[in-house]
Amino acid sequence: MTAATTPGAATRLDPQPGEVIDRTDRFAFTWNGVEHHAYRGDTITSALAAAGVRVFSRSFKYSRPRGILTASYLDPGCTVQVDDEPNVRGSHRRIAPGQAVTAQNVWPSLDRDVKMANQAVGRFLTAGFYYKTFIKPQRLWPTYQRVLQRFAAGGTAPDTAPDRLRYDKRYAHPDVLVAGGGPAGMKAAVAAAKHGAKVLLVEEEHELGGHLRYGDTGDLDRLALLRAEVAASDVEVLTDAVVAGRYDGNLFAVVERSAPGLTERLTKVRAGVAIVAAGLIERPYVVEGNDLPGVLLSTAVRRLINLHAVKPGNRAVVLTANPQGDAAIADLQRAGVQVWAEDARAGGDIVRILGRGGVVGVEVGDGRKVPCDLVVTATGWTATTSLLNMAGDRPVYEPRIARFLPSQLPDDVLVTGGLAGDDDLDELLDHARAAGELAAERATEPGSVRGAALPVRPIVDACLPALPLHDHPAMFRGPTHGFVDFSEDVGSKDLAAAVAEGYDSSELAKRYTTATMGPSQGKLETVNAVAAVAEATGITIGQAGTTTWRPPYAPITLGALAGRNFEPVRVSPMQPWHEVHGAAPLVAGAWIRPDHYGDPAAEVRAVRDEVGIIDVTPIGKLDLQGPDVPNLLELLYVNKWQKLDVGRVRYGVMCAEDGVVLDDGVTGRLGPDHYLMSTTSSGAAGIWEWIENWLQTERPGWDVHVTPVTTAYASMNLAGPRSRDVLAPLTDVDLSADAFGYMHVRTGTIAAVEDCVLWRIGFTGELSYELHVPAGYGLHVWETLLAAGADHGIRAFGVEAQRTLRLEKGHLIVGQDTDGLTKAGSAGLGGLVKLDKPNFVGKPELVWQQEVGVTSTLVALQPVDPTEVPPEASQIVVAGRTVGRITSSRRSPTLGRGVCLGQVPPDLAAPGTHVTVRLPDGRDIVAVVQQHLAHVDPEGARLRG
Amino acid sequence: MAEPTTAGPAPQPEPLARSPIPTLTPTAIVAGWEVTDRSSDASTRLADLSPLAKVHVRASEDGALAAALDVRFLKAARDDYGVLITGSGPGEWTLIGPAGTAGDIAGRLSALDVDERITIVDLTHGRALVRLTGDAGSTLLATVCAVDLDEHTMPDGTCLRTSVARVVTDLVRDDRDGVRSYLLHCERSSGAYLAEQLRQVGEAHGLGVEGFAAAGR
Repeated sequence: MTAATTPGAATRLDPQPGEVIDRTDRFAFTWNGVEHHAYRGDTITSALAAAGVRVFSRSFKYSRPRGILTASYLDPGCTVQVDDEPNVRGSHRRIAPGQAVTAQNVWPSLDRDVKMANQAVGRFLTAGFYYKTFIKPQRLWPTYQRVLQRFAAGGTAPDTAPDRLRYDKRYAHPDVLVAGGGPAGMKAAVAAAKHGAKVLLVEEEHELGGHLRYGDTGDLDRLALLRAEVAASDVEVLTDAVVAGRYDGNLFAVVERSAPGLTERLTKVRAGVAIVAAGLIERPYVVEGNDLPGVLLSTAVRRLINLHAVKPGNRAVVLTANPQGDAAIADLQRAGVQVWAEDARAGGDIVRILGRGGVVGVEVGDGRKVPCDLVVTATGWTATTSLLNMAGDRPVYEPRIARFLPSQLPDDVLVTGGLAGDDDLDELLDHARAAGELAAERATEPGSVRGAALPVRPIVDACLPALPLHDHPAMFRGPTHGFVDFSEDVGSKDLAAAVAEGYDSSELAKRYTTATMGPSQGKLETVNAVAAVAEATGITIGQAGTTTWRPPYAPITLGALAGRNFEPVRVSPMQPWHEVHGAAPLVAGAWIRPDHYGDPAAEVRAVRDEVGIIDVTPIGKLDLQGPDVPNLLELLYVNKWQKLDVGRVRYGVMCAEDGVVLDDGVTGRLGPDHYLMSTTSSGAAGIWEWIENWLQTERPGWDVHVTPVTTAYASMNLAGPRSRDVLAPLTDVDLSADAFGYMHVRTGTIAAVEDCVLWRIGFTGELSYELHVPAGYGLHVWETLLAAGADHGIRAFGVEAQRTLRLEKGHLIVGQDTDGLTKAGSAGLGGLVKLDKPNFVGKPELVWQQEVGVTSTLVALQPVDPTEVPPEASQIVVAGRTVGRITSSRRSPTLGRGVCLGQVPPDLAAPGTHVTVRLPDGRDIVAVVQQHLAHVDPEGARLRG
Repeated sequence: MAEPTTAGPAPQPEPLARSPIPTLTPTAIVAGWEVTDRSSDASTRLADLSPLAKVHVRASEDGALAAALDVRFLKAARDDYGVLITGSGPGEWTLIGPAGTAGDIAGRLSALDVDERITIVDLTHGRALVRLTGDAGSTLLATVCAVDLDEHTMPDGTCLRTSVARVVTDLVRDDRDGVRSYLLHCERSSGAYLAEQLRQVGEAHGLGVEGFAAAGR
């Protein structure tokens, strides 16, 4: 075999049996501004490696050159920027035509990064140096911050999210979730599906197959059979996806990195049973120079050669302790690489790796120095037990195989493949098939683990045959110190120093040194770090234990966590009219309401002088039916309700158990056992729940049915002295003052629409009719009223005008003129509260308030200077001390002056009292307490007209 | 101020009812409602059926009315009149019938000889209602609803109340001619939002919009 001679692909090999590149699709891209070529299927680093590039990044602390180590998603030195996307895993992401790939966090260039100076002062940057430096003088902290931020890892995010980014979420409920699409995972998935289970198979790589993908022809033949089995099954397969976390109730987070049309998708999987077949991760060998470009794991060179047809070097030293290393040697030799093998099983070792910008040689165990440009290590495995830990497992270290094994799992989590043990492929597949069948049985049989108590049992008792274990030498660190964490630039010497300083447990040493806390999150480093701590403390790895694996196992973008933006919006049936007529939208909770139509002051004047109409559909409306409705009203409202006649409406206030004002509204009696209650717009849902809570838990014997009908009606308030003239021709209800007086309710027809409810109430202080019409006819009635009112000067008004009108009238708004501490007595509602009622919600507190007296009360205020309108929340002060506040304020178009409501202490509540109002700009003005809450028509003549 | 007027209403044109979900052209009038009048060849389709009569009933969970309706909580079935009875809550049913028949449905319920108090509320105008038909319906819903809609957990003739795109929604499995179909109804003011969200997530599934009549109600 010889290297291909394609221009620009100096180390590209001839076609390989298992290669994933498409040699018919060759395209250009750039790396740090220089054009290179790739084949479809190349990763960023495989394409660049084929072009002879060895260095892809600079390390975090010492700015050391870093190249390919794992040739997988975990590659710690291959994180790059792609166009405007930072932090792309270059050994996983497949390159696309025209992309501009650049090195991250280097200046001025990858070759001459200024932070290389840190290498000269490396001995001062030992573990925990940042806990000991940059402390004094304190005045330099901002400078330290700016400088240190320059060292922060990561690329450059765009200022605004590009439009091309699309994130989503979805939910899945498979009977069986299989994490890991290697041979064991594939077999388990097919077996579960054959046993009737709905199966979701998740694989982090771009294709199913695990290590078989870069195996020999025998492996490839087995892989083809397994893939055919999967294809013939009903298994749903997600590739380029990863199970990132396991939570209570067997809820799993699955990150899909290449869902169609999406940047990333988070799938929330509720699985009956999960099979963890995540396999093993090859562990780096800790020795001097182990981070140099040209030092690769055996699985990395096998990936490069067999998947991407890239010759990783010309002269290699291979330290092998297992069959995977042996297979790497065979692959290298087949690729034309000269190989020097050090067999650890026969006592071979490497002492240090030589070079500065890359590998130039190796000092092997017997002291000889072997020139080379490639060092390959195959020294052991890290078990990917993360999901098992998240399921409650506490894996135990097995010295025979120098890795951790699962110990006990809940019934809804099974484990198979390399995580469970070692064996030939056939035996591993048998185990996987048994796991799949057991999972399907547990997930689908009556009385399955779903919804049942989940006993935790030792893994060996989990009805699966135990897999044998193949002895493996325990190789963590060589004769010299090297890097343990390539992401954080933490070496075995740092860990030894941390232990010497007293951080003598894995958890403490981790936090002190930040080992395992970088982007690879311990998958490459944890066991080596634990081994270093164990070595430094003189205990075994089993005694040292691992750090805690927590979700997420893999990175998830914030975009995927947010997903599609679901923000429910509520609109009334008249919303199309509002939009056409220029309404300024007001966002009120989920509701979009017309705030005004351009001139709220003119809208106020129209209501006072002629007639106006406002859309009040969001007002909460509850249909109450049953003989016990009066009892319910008596319980929840502070005033009396037993004698409300049919056809009458009454205003009521609800308080919570602590006497604090909860909500207000009117309730009308439509029939002997039939009432219609209104609530505040914001309180609609809460009051419904409040009522149901009282009925279901405290008064279950009461015969009351509550039906929310807020949006069954389009609601509008026709207000103003000419409102009767507008409405009368359109309704069969007698609107004369005698027949339909203030605080009465009628049902009838409006604009030929039947089953309408008419309330004569007056939040604005004017003669007005609140009309509730079947919602589908809302726009029809609205437009008919406007047409009918044209000759009367009718004008639509919005929420802003309504707020001004009600303020002029002195009507409070719960939540604005009250707060979370305002009891009824402090809200100007003392006269409404009937403490002589036998009982009602909040009575004990209100009785107590009456006994001790209120601490503040709601009053109307007018600034002495009529041009002043103190902003809401302006403070009322006495001798510089805050004693109250302005709760509502507007300039009154009716009075031509500022008007307010405010909370003041009782000694300032007497009419005529002058109070000092401190404005947000610091000025003090004087306002006068008024006789009545109403600034306009305190006698109520207008609304009773 | 003008003199009070008690002369009664002047003749009014026939009122037109409108769905909370914007209609698409061409339109038609059905039972006084303006509806979309179009068909779709898409394998998965969304239709606005808000004009259908929707009658809400409350009674004892295990009383005489429950026995007469014979539809338990979380189940759905059609009666002899073709009205779909859904057990939307404990002691709570929503009856869905042809447009303009809410009065008939309520009348039949009132005429039942049951010795208990029942509450009947016409929610035709208070609920937005859409039908999602096609094989991709459950896949589409999986992006907006956390509930397992698999055949074994939600077969034809079942219903539940859940969150769909963060809107409280009654979801009814009501297959049409052997094709998987869901009715979704929510309070009216969120109807336009819910329909738009379904349309947006349906884009990836080739969702088509069809009219009231084409949906077969």
